[in-house]
Amino acid sequence: MMATRRARGVGALVAIAALVAAIAALTAGGAGAGGQSAFALPRAQTLYISGNQWSPNVDLNPAKNWDYVTGLVGFAYETPFRYDPLSDKFIPWLASAGKWTSKTTYTMTVRSGVKWSDGQTMTPQDVKYSFDILKLATHPQHALWQDTGLKSTKVQGRNVVFTFGGTPGIQQFDFYRFNVAIVPQHVFQKYSKTEITTGNLSDPKKIVGTGPYAYESGVGASSETVVWKKRDGWWGTSALGLSVGPTYIVDIKNGTNAAALANLLRGNIDLFNNFAPKSAIRGQFKTYFDRAPYHLGANTTWLFPNTTKKPLNDKQFRRALAYSINMGQIISKAYQGLVAKASPTGLLPIWDKWVDPKVVKQLGFSYSPGKAKAMLAAAGYKDTDGDGYVENKDGSAIDLKIVCPNGWSDWMTAIQVIADSAKQVGIKVTASFPEYSTLVDDRGHARYDLLLANDRQYSNTPWTYYQYIYQLPILDNQTTVNYERYTSPSAWSAVQALDKIPSSNTRAYQAVMSKLQRSFLQDLPAIPLWYNGMWSMVNTKYWTGWPSAQNGRFTPTSWRNYWQMTAIDMLTHLRPAKQS
Amino acid sequence: MTRYLARKVVIYLLTFFVAVTIDWAIPRFMPGDPIEGLLSRMKAQPGATEELTGYYSHAFGFDVPLWQQYLNFWAALLHGDLGRSIANFPTPVSELIMGALPYTLALLIPAILLSFWAGNKTGALAARRKVLDNTVLPASYVLTATPQMWLGIVLAWLFASTWAIFPVSGAYGLDVQPQWSLEFALSFLHHWILPFSALFLVAFGGWAIGMRNMIIYELESDYSNYLTALGAPSKLVRKYAYRNALLPQITGLALALGAVVAGAIVVEIVFSYPGLGTLTLSAIQNRDYFLIQGIFLFLITGVLIANFVIDLVYVVIDPRTRVGMQGGS
Repeated sequence: MMATRRARGVGALVAIAALVAAIAALTAGGAGAGGQSAFALPRAQTLYISGNQWSPNVDLNPAKNWDYVTGLVGFAYETPFRYDPLSDKFIPWLASAGKWTSKTTYTMTVRSGVKWSDGQTMTPQDVKYSFDILKLATHPQHALWQDTGLKSTKVQGRNVVFTFGGTPGIQQFDFYRFNVAIVPQHVFQKYSKTEITTGNLSDPKKIVGTGPYAYESGVGASSETVVWKKRDGWWGTSALGLSVGPTYIVDIKNGTNAAALANLLRGNIDLFNNFAPKSAIRGQFKTYFDRAPYHLGANTTWLFPNTTKKPLNDKQFRRALAYSINMGQIISKAYQGLVAKASPTGLLPIWDKWVDPKVVKQLGFSYSPGKAKAMLAAAGYKDTDGDGYVENKDGSAIDLKIVCPNGWSDWMTAIQVIADSAKQVGIKVTASFPEYSTLVDDRGHARYDLLLANDRQYSNTPWTYYQYIYQLPILDNQTTVNYERYTSPSAWSAVQALDKIPSSNTRAYQAVMSKLQRSFLQDLPAIPLWYNGMWSMVNTKYWTGWPSAQNGRFTPTSWRNYWQMTAIDMLTHLRPAKQS
Repeated sequence: MTRYLARKVVIYLLTFFVAVTIDWAIPRFMPGDPIEGLLSRMKAQPGATEELTGYYSHAFGFDVPLWQQYLNFWAALLHGDLGRSIANFPTPVSELIMGALPYTLALLIPAILLSFWAGNKTGALAARRKVLDNTVLPASYVLTATPQMWLGIVLAWLFASTWAIFPVSGAYGLDVQPQWSLEFALSFLHHWILPFSALFLVAFGGWAIGMRNMIIYELESDYSNYLTALGAPSKLVRKYAYRNALLPQITGLALALGAVVAGAIVVEIVFSYPGLGTLTLSAIQNRDYFLIQGIFLFLITGVLIANFVIDLVYVVIDPRTRVGMQGGS
C-alpha cells in the first residue's frame, strides 16, 4: 500500500509544482508595472500603430534616433521646425520663425507660451542647450558642429543666434533644424555627458516634453507595446488651433511578419508600416496611392559595385551592367508591383524638380540586353574561352558575387534577378546570402563585389544622397557612406559646394545639381534600382482622415524621424470613424 | 552520500566551466564586428566613426587582448555582471534577460511538468487498455515526431488564423499592460494556451510512448509474474510496474530538458512570445555578444541545476542509488 500512496504522491506533487510555477511566473511577469490600477483602452479612441520598433522598448534618449521608443521625438520631444518633404517647406514648430540675418549668422526665434509637461516654461536657453549638447564628440548628431562650420550659439531675447565660421553648410544645417530634439535643460543637466550621448535615460517619469502626448505606460525590457496619452495644454492647440485625434496611441513592437500581418487583417492595427503583400490591400485597408506603386518611395535601393576591383573599376563595365538589369522583373517578382523603378539619377521623387531632363535623356540608362552586350564588346570585354561569359581585358575570368542579407526575402529575389539578367548579357554574377552582420563587416572593408543598400531616407536635401555616394576621404572602414569606395575629388567638391548653397538660390543650386547628375550618370559609381516603399497600410474601420495622394499629403508612417516631417499632421487630421 | 554528492558537484562545476568557456568563445569567433553593426545602424557620420569606435570598444572591453577579455569576463561573471547589451547599449544584459525570463518559465515549467505527468499516466493506461493503445499510441508517435515549431505553426494557423479562437502572437493583448489585474491575467492565459500546447503536446507524445513500453516490459518481468502467481491483485502489480517504469523516465526527463528548452525557443519565435527565445533570435541577428552569452549562460545554468535536482530526486525515489552510495551490497 505504501507503494500506491507514493506513486500517487509523486503525480500530485508534479501537478502542484507545475501550477505553482505557472502562477509564480505570471506574477513575475506582472511585477514590472507594480500596483497600477487596471485599464483596458477604449478602442474607438485608441490608435494602434506598428512597424517602427524592433529593439526592446527601453531607450528614452532623443539623441539615439535609430533606437528610441516610437514617438519619443514627435509625441513628447519636439523640434524647432518640421519639414514637409512632399511640398518642400519648413514648418515653424517650437521656433516661430528663423532666418539668415547675415552670411554667417542664422537667427531662430523661439516660440513663446510653450510649456514643458512639468509646467515649466520652455525658454530660448533650452533651445541653445539642446543644440550645445551636440558638441559632445560621441553625440550621434555631433556632425552639426563638426561639418557645418557652426562655431557658437547665443541667446538674444527670444532668439537663439547661430554663428558660423566661413560659408555655412546650409543644407546640412537645415537638416538639423528639424532633427534636433529640444530638451528641457532643467532635467537634462542632471544627466552625465555619457548618459546624454549614449545612455538610455530609461526612467519614463523623466520624459518632460512639449509635445501633444505624454508617456502612459509600457517601457520595459520585455514590453510589447508602449502607450502614449493625449496631453492637455499642448501649445499647438492655443497657438495653431491644432488638436491630435487619438486619445491613446499604442505602438506595437515588431514580431514576425506573419504575426504582424495577421494582427493587421484582424483589425488590431490601424497603421501598419511594414511590408504587406498586395493581397492585403482591400476593403477597409488602404494605401497612400490607390494604384501601383501604392506607396510613396521612401528611399532608393542602390546596387553598389566595389570600384576597387577589376572589372568594376571600369565605368564602361558598370554602365553595361546597369543596362543588363531587368528592373521590370524585379518589381513584379520581388514586390508584386508595390515599388517603382528609380530615376537613373537615383534621386527620390520628392527631388524631381532638381532632376535635369536633358542630362537624363542623354546619359540615363534602362533595361536593354542588346545595348549592354554592345557596350561590353565596345569596351573590350570578350568571351575568349567560349564559356558564354565575358572575360577581363587581360583574359582573366570574371566571376562576380552579389550579396544581400539572408532572410531579406524581397532583396534575395531581386539579386537573383540581377544575377540572372547579367548572365543573359554574358556577365557571370552569382547571388549569395550572408548574415547581415557579416555583410556589414565585408561592406565596410571592401570585401565584396556587388551589394544592395538603401540607407538614406527622405530629407530636406539631395545633399544627403550625394554625400552617401561620394564622401571622401575613404577610410579603412567605410561604415555608412561610399561603400563603393569611389574616389572623385571633383564630384566630392561639387557635393561640398551644394551644401553651401541655399535651395532658394535655384539657379546656382540647379547648376551644381546638373553637374552632379552628369558626373554620376557618366561614371555610375552606384546603380540606382528602385524606390523602396514607405510601407503604409491603414485600417479605415476605426479612424478616418488618413493621408493619401488625393487628400492630406502627409508622410503616412510611424517610422522614427518622420514624425517631425509631416507624420504629426496625420494625427491632427485623424478623426474617429462613425461606428455602426 | 557525501562522496556521491561531492562527485556530482565536481562534475557539474567542470561542465559549467567548459560550457561557459565555449559560451564566451562562440560569439567572438562568429564573423562580423558588432561595433560596426552598431555604427551602421546609427548611421554615424564618417567623421565621427573613429571617436565612436574607440568609445564603444572601450565600453565593451574589446580594446584589450583576448585572454584578458576572457579573464575579465569571468571576473565580471563572478560579480553577477553579465555586461551590457551591444545592440541596446547601455541596457544591462541581466535586465533584458530578467524581462524575458518570466515568459519563458511560464511556458517551460508547466509544459515540462504537466506533459511528464499526463504523458506517463496516459502511457501507463494505454499499456493496459487495447482501445487506448490503438488510439493514443499512433497519436503519440505522430506528436513526438513533430517539431515543436511546426506544431506551433499548425496550431496558429488553425486556432488563431482560421478559427480565430486564440490570438496569433504576443503574450498579452495590445490593450492591456503587464500588471496585477484580472484583465491582464485572462489576456495572458488566452495568449499562453497555444504556445504552451505546442510544447506540451510534443513532449506528451514522447512520455506516453516511453511509459507504455516500459509498463509492458515491467508487467512481463519476473517480479510481476511472481506477484501475480502469489495472487496479488493486478492493481498492486501495476502500481509496482509503474514505479519501476518511472525511473528510466526520470532519467529521460534530465536528458530531454535541453531539447525542451530549444523547442521553447523556436515556439516563442513562432508566436512572437516575448521570452528568451525571441530575445535569443534578436541577439543573434544583431550579433549582440553579451546578450547571446548571457542568455546561453542562463540556459546552461538552468539545465545544469535541473539535472542536479533530478539527480537528487533519483536518490529519493530509487533505493538502489541510496544503497550504492552507502557502499552497501
